[in-house]
Order: sequence, then structure tokens, then C-alpha cells
Amino acid sequence: MILFYLIAPALIMFVLSFLHHRLLNRILPITTLMILIPIVYLFGLEKPYTIIGNYWVATQLNSYILLISSIVAIGVTFALVTLKRRVRIENRSYVLFYRFFALFWIGLIISILANNMGIYWIGLEMATLSTVYMIKTNQSKHASKEAWNYMIVGAIAISLILFGIILIYASAKPILGEDAMNFALLQEHINEIKNPFLFELGFVIVSLGMFIKMGFFPMNLWLANIERASFYPVAALFSGILESAILVGFFHFSTIAIEIDRGATFSFVFIYLSLTLFLVSFLIYRSKDFMRLFSLSGVEHMILIILFWISGGYYAALLHFGAHAFLKPALFLSTGVLESNGQYKISGTLRGYQGWRGKSFAVIVGLFLLAIIGLPPSPMFFSEIYGFEAIIHLANQEDYYLWIIAALIVLLLLLSIIFYKFIEIYQSMRYEGEAESKIVYTNEWSFALLFLLATLTLLLPQTTTYLKAIYG
Amino acid sequence: MIDFFIGLFLASFIVALFSGRLYKLIFWYAFNALTLGIITLLVGAQIDDIALIISGSITLILKAGIIPFILKRSAKRFHLKREITSNIPIQYSILLVPSIIIFTLYLAEPMSSMIGVNSQYIAISISSFFLALILMIEHKNIAPKIIAFLMMENALFLLGTTATYGMPMFIELGIFIDVMIAIVIINLLFKEEAIR
Amino acid sequence: MILYILTILLLLLIAPLLTGLIKSIKMFLLYKRPVSIFQPYANFNKLLVKELVISHESSAITHLAPWMILSPLLVTLLFLPPIFQGAYYIGFVDAFTIIGLLSLSTFFLMLLGLDGGNAFGGMGSSREAFIASLVEPAMVLTIFSVGLIGKNLGVGNVALNLSTHFPVEHAASFLFAGLSFFILLLAENGRLPIDNPETHLELTMVHEAMILDISGLYLAIIEMASSLKFVIFSSLFVTLFIPYGLNLIAPLALLVFVGKLILVSMVVALIEVNGAKLRLFKVPNLLGIAIVFAFLSLITFYLLGV
Repeated sequence: MILFYLIAPALIMFVLSFLHHRLLNRILPITTLMILIPIVYLFGLEKPYTIIGNYWVATQLNSYILLISSIVAIGVTFALVTLKRRVRIENRSYVLFYRFFALFWIGLIISILANNMGIYWIGLEMATLSTVYMIKTNQSKHASKEAWNYMIVGAIAISLILFGIILIYASAKPILGEDAMNFALLQEHINEIKNPFLFELGFVIVSLGMFIKMGFFPMNLWLANIERASFYPVAALFSGILESAILVGFFHFSTIAIEIDRGATFSFVFIYLSLTLFLVSFLIYRSKDFMRLFSLSGVEHMILIILFWISGGYYAALLHFGAHAFLKPALFLSTGVLESNGQYKISGTLRGYQGWRGKSFAVIVGLFLLAIIGLPPSPMFFSEIYGFEAIIHLANQEDYYLWIIAALIVLLLLLSIIFYKFIEIYQSMRYEGEAESKIVYTNEWSFALLFLLATLTLLLPQTTTYLKAIYG
Repeated sequence: MIDFFIGLFLASFIVALFSGRLYKLIFWYAFNALTLGIITLLVGAQIDDIALIISGSITLILKAGIIPFILKRSAKRFHLKREITSNIPIQYSILLVPSIIIFTLYLAEPMSSMIGVNSQYIAISISSFFLALILMIEHKNIAPKIIAFLMMENALFLLGTTATYGMPMFIELGIFIDVMIAIVIINLLFKEEAIR
Repeated sequence: MILYILTILLLLLIAPLLTGLIKSIKMFLLYKRPVSIFQPYANFNKLLVKELVISHESSAITHLAPWMILSPLLVTLLFLPPIFQGAYYIGFVDAFTIIGLLSLSTFFLMLLGLDGGNAFGGMGSSREAFIASLVEPAMVLTIFSVGLIGKNLGVGNVALNLSTHFPVEHAASFLFAGLSFFILLLAENGRLPIDNPETHLELTMVHEAMILDISGLYLAIIEMASSLKFVIFSSLFVTLFIPYGLNLIAPLALLVFVGKLILVSMVVALIEVNGAKLRLFKVPNLLGIAIVFAFLSLITFYLLGV
């Protein structure tokens, strides 16, 4: 029943989007606000809470991720109100956006809460396919090309994931039967499976699919191009919500893989991530516009989250995840204001705000920009400290202590390139260029405030206890 | 008998790789789905599994009937380019296709001891997955890429059927629904482009 | 032994008939008034009495080549698989010999085209060489895979093995080999998707270009050779890939065999009516499919049905 309540707001939104009413543009954002209510209710329930015969389970982990996603979704809705004044968009595509957002949300709930690989995949595919059309809300030729690109590459990635899932299912079916798709059950019985090779092959293929979908090594610029072509709320949805659905899956699969062979899993993922970070850091250094910059930095943070997770720093990974999920959509949404005077201009974008609302908006955006690279008060600072500590702790137990430390130093060097670039951009935004006057609407100010408050909540001691309790 | 149809399944992939017309490609997709449905039905009859028989019949109706029909209709309606040219010259494809098949044969070799069923079936489904990838890479137009995606889906379905005797019913139905959503969205995208 | 010789004579006699049959079926399907199916015999007669005109530039090759085109085919005729159970056949000859003999015939055809010294001849020969070089690998692979399925490399033994106990587990492999062989049949005999046997348009002709300035007796020989080639290929096809009816009693088996040959001609005619000629540089695509199918048949022999 709770599943129905979770999906109901999206269903209502979907049905409403077919009506032709002149107040529709006001009604739809309000229905979006409703998605928070069942999720908060779910958050308060006793965990783990099984839904419909073990197919879906609400654990502390996934209800936390769902809560974050819903807050992001509401922030995006705030930004959508004045989208019409920032970019050229037809009324029709506005409605279409909500229709596919509803589908997206259904897919997301199905996949995030899933306790079954197959169902997780179904939800993920649904979410992926519905985002294709959201890119298309931008009527430019470029966006249309990128929508097709997304469709094709997304399809390859998602097929790889299914491929891996089938192999994993095949490896565990002899002992578990049809329940071999159940994440929790598989984790309990993982040491009994007779052919770990098949499982590992499946895991490698699944993670390859997920990495492609997150814009990792062979596909570094793929996501950046797509986010550049689509409207900024869509980009925010991509970086804030869709990635979280993929990450949940990766968390599930990797915890099982670590039980089988920690060393092999760690080294595979670590090498892959280092390769990606190497490319991404230089790509960030060369990037010349906000969208690409933020999207590449999103890839960088995905790398860090995954790295912390597989090295056992669960708290660090989750904190980093939360902080990234709030900060990155906030930055993407504020590009609506930042880029309103010329797309590819960076210098001077933090100057020329009038009124208390505009001035505070500029301050908040500046804070976001500094927080995303982990300057001290931001949650990212703490998560990175904890995360790297976890890696060193892991290195202590392994035989390859020096290797891991050396690799870590290289990683930090690469991160420092990104750090440098962001500081440079911040300075150029703040101190260089002409001060052109910019308007900040109330809703834009309020989403900035919402994300600021949400980020600050992550620093509360209660959040820390909650997150630390998730995985011992 | 299953052997024969699996052979046909692989053959339709290869012919699809070499075909230069969109309608022919759609036909080969339908043929591919037809053999897939028959394979699923045969496997289902062999191990006496109702779920497999149901999903086999859905495959026959949906993938071999409805989807090719919709694809052809939308190709006609939106005036898609009917001549599809391949980026990879044919002489390279001739070398590539057999080498992929042999490669996957060796890839599936160690699996044969792990999975009770015929490991050759797995080799063929993996190689058809790769062939679908090549089909996707070698064409620049969007329509063949979509068909390649659908064929990739078929290859995975075959893998599921042969390696694990079918996934749970619930999930297979979900996959069918996803394929339908994909078709709807593809249609919408074409429509959007036609309007502009 | 008598039956063996009679069979060969029958094949010799039936060869022009099949060519005529294809032509008349095609004309019928195109709503034309069909020519008699015995027209090739009449043509043959006419050409025998015609004067022999030979270009001044040509060398002795032109006098030698027609005989060298015909004779390997006549030899091949001796090696074909038996038509019914118990008939005499030459079992030691494997398929590679047959391929070699056919290639020898093609080689002299190309020489003949070059020898005339006109532009068309050279063009036709180069095209023929292009096609023949693509046909060869597919042919070897196909025959080899059929040999594996029939557990023998000699064509006669393969045909007998296949007809007595057909290996159902290798059905897929068998089907691919059959498809590949059928494409080769079309390609080697200059049928429609590869070469149009009816046109004298310089852009499209292959076979006709080579024999453009041959006349009289030599033309008759070459026409005979090309219909013989068709009969050889189609009888190989029907005995290897439609291996039924071999174990019937002799007259019935003969009837079934002729029926199968006519069936093949009808299929070829249907394909010719329904399809257009491929552009020359698209020909490798079709032959590429043949090669891949032949290879696939070899792979599936090992992969499936073990």
C-alpha cells in the first residue's frame, strides 16, 4: 500500500498533464510538492520495512537517498516556475516535462526501493527512457541530437547492466532458485555460491554499464554534452536524482562483490576510477562554460563516492553523496541566473546583483561553488577527510600499502587541479569582468535557500548518527 | 530443434548486419524475434515451465508482430531515410563477424562447467549481443540504431532463457513493459522531429 | 555402368533445356509471350552452321580456349554424385577437385575475353576475376562444412550419407551451407543479382562482355559450357542440399531428380524476376554474406548439436 502512496503523486501528475486547462501550469508544481509527504512518512517508519513480499524493502540507506532525491525534485520544481523567463520554451513542452517527470519518478521509486536486481533494472530503464524526452523539451537541433545520443548510449549502458544481472542470476540460481535476484538474500548466501567467477564477471559488466551511464572513462564528455544541450532543470535532475538511482544499485552490487573478493573488486574499481579521474581533471581544467564544468565535476564526485564506498568508508560515501546531491543541482539551477547574460561567459557573473535578495543569492551561490570543492564548513570537507582516512585504513590491512598510498597521492594531485580551477573560476566570477545587472526572482532565491538549508542539515549531529548507523 | 532455431537467430543477426535497407532491417528484426519466441517456447516445453511459455508467446506477439509493425508504420509516416549505409566497410565486417563469434566461443568456454546448460547457447547469445553492438556502431542514422537496441534486447532475452531458463515472470513482464515504453518514446521523438 | 553413362548423357541433354526453361518462365511472369523451352537447342543448331569469324588481333588462345572451357566441365560431369542408390559413381574425387576444374574453365573464359583485344573483353574478364576470387573462399568453406556434416569429403559419398541418415542435430549448419551454396550458384552462373545474362549494356555485363566477339561454333561451345555449368551447380545443389529421393527405385529417383532441377530453375527465375542487378561494387556484399554464412555453417557445426 505504501508503494501506491509513494507513486500516487506521480500518477496524479501524469494524468493531470493530459488535461487542457489554463491553470495547469500552476497545478502541476503543487502536485510535485506532494511527493515529499509519503517519503517523509516512509522515512519515519521502522526499518527495514518490507513492501509487497520482499520485492521492495525500505532500508535506512534507500529511504535516506529517496528523501534527498525528493528534496532535490522540489528544488527543481521551484526553479521551473521562472524557466519561461530565462529560456525560450513553449507551454506545451512545459507540460510534457511534467508528464515525463512523473514517469521518471515512478521509475526512480521502483528502482531505489527495489530489493531485487530485476526490479531495480526495470525501474532504472524506465527512468532512463523518460529522461530522453525531457532533454527534448529544449527545441534546438543540438538538443534533439543529444537526446538521440542519450537514448543510444543509455540503451547500451542499460543493456550491459541487464547482461551482468543475468550472469549474476545464473551464478546464484543453483542455490537460491528464483530468489537469486533478491539482494538481501544473495548477500546472506553469497559464500555458498559455487561459481564466483560467473558472479565476478557479472559484477564487472554491471559496473561497466553503470560507469558508462555516469560518464566514466570511455564516455567522459557524453554526459557533459547532454547536460549542455538540455535545459538547466533537466541537467539538475540528471546530476541530482538519476545518478543517485545508479549509485544505489552500485552500492547493492558492490557490497555483495566485496564479500566474495575484496581485493579484486577494490583493485578493479580503483584502477578504473583513477583512469577516469585522470581524464576528468584535465577536462575540467579545459572547460569553458558552467554546464560542462559542473557536469564534469559531478563525474569527479561520483568517483569519490564510489571510492569511499568500496574502501569501507560508508559514512563518508553517504555524506558525500548527500552533499553532492544538494550542491550540484543547486549550482545547475543557478546557472539559469548566471548564464542569463550570454552563455559562455564566466567572468563577472557573481557581480551586479541588486537588492537584498540578489545580493544574498550571489553570496549563497558563491558558497555553493566553494563548498563543492570541499572548503571547510561544507559537508564535503568532512566526507573527504573520513573517506581518505578509510582508504588509508584499508591500505593498512592490505599487502600493497605503499602502492595504495602512492596511488592516493596521485589522486590528490589530480583533485588539486580541479581545486585550482574552481578557485580560479570563483575569482574570475567575483572580481573580473563587467558588472551587468541581473534579476533574481523570488523562487530562485528560495530554491537556493532550500538547498543551503538542506546542505546544512547534513552537518547536524543527528544526521551523523543516522548515517553512521547505516552500515556499522 | 532448439539448435536449428538458435542458428537461425544468429543468422538473422548477421544478415541484419549486412542489409542496406531499413525495411529489410525491420524484417530481419521481426524474423529474429520470431526465432527467439520459438526458442523460448521450445525451451519452455522442454522443461515444462509455464512462465517461459507465456513469455515466449508474448515475445511472438509483441516483438515479432506489434513492434515491427509500429516501426515500419512510423518509418513510413515520418519519412525516415530508407537507405542505410554502414560506416564499417563490408570487407572488415566479413572479418569481424567470424572473429567475434570465435572470441565469444572461447569466452564462454570456462562457463560451460559452471552452468549446467549448453554453454554454446551462451556463447551465441553473447556473440549476438556483440553483433548488435556492431550494428549500432556501424550505422549513422538513428533508425538502425534503434533496431540494434531492440536486437540487443533480444540477445539478452536469449541469454536469460538459455543460461538461467528464464528470469522470474514478474521481471520479464517488466522488461516487456520497458520495451513498450521505449517504442512509445521513440515514436514521440520522431513525431517531434517531424513537427519541426 | 550403363546407367552411369546414361545419366551423364541425360545431364548433357537436359542442360540447354533448363536454360530455356528459366527464360520462358521469366517471360511468362513478365506477361510476355514465352519462347519455347527448346529454344536453346535451336540456337545451338543455328550457331553450328554459322560462319566462324575471328578477330585479327587474336592469338591461338582464341582457338584453344572454347575447348578448354568446355572440357573441364565435361570431366566434372563424370564426378557428380549418384542420382539413385546403387548407381555407379566415382567416389575418390573430393569437392576440391571439382572446384579446381570449374576454376580452370573460368580461367580460360577470362583468357578468351582478354585475347580478343577489345575493351569490353578486358572489362568483362576483370569483373569475372573479381567475382571468382570472392566465390572461391566461400565455395571451399561451404563444401568443407557439407563434407563435415556428411562425414566424408568425396561429394558422392556425402550425398549418399546425407540421404541415408540425415543428421538432424546439424540442421542449422546444413541450412547455412545451403544458403551459401545457393548464392554461389547464382554468382558462378552469372544469374541476376550478380550479372544479368540477357543484357548487352556495357555497364552491367560480365559474362556477355567476354564472349562479345565470339561467333559460330565457338559461341555454340561456350553457350553449351555455360548451360552445363548451371546443370553441374544445380545438380550438386539438389543432391547435397535436398537429399531426398535418392533411395527410391531407379526410374522414380530419376524423375524426382529432374523435378528438383526444374524446381531450382524455377526458383532462380523467380529471383531474377523479383530482383534487380546489384551494382558491381555491391557484389562483395552479397558474396560476403555467402562467405560469412559458409563460415557460420562451419562454426555452428562445432557449436551446436554436439
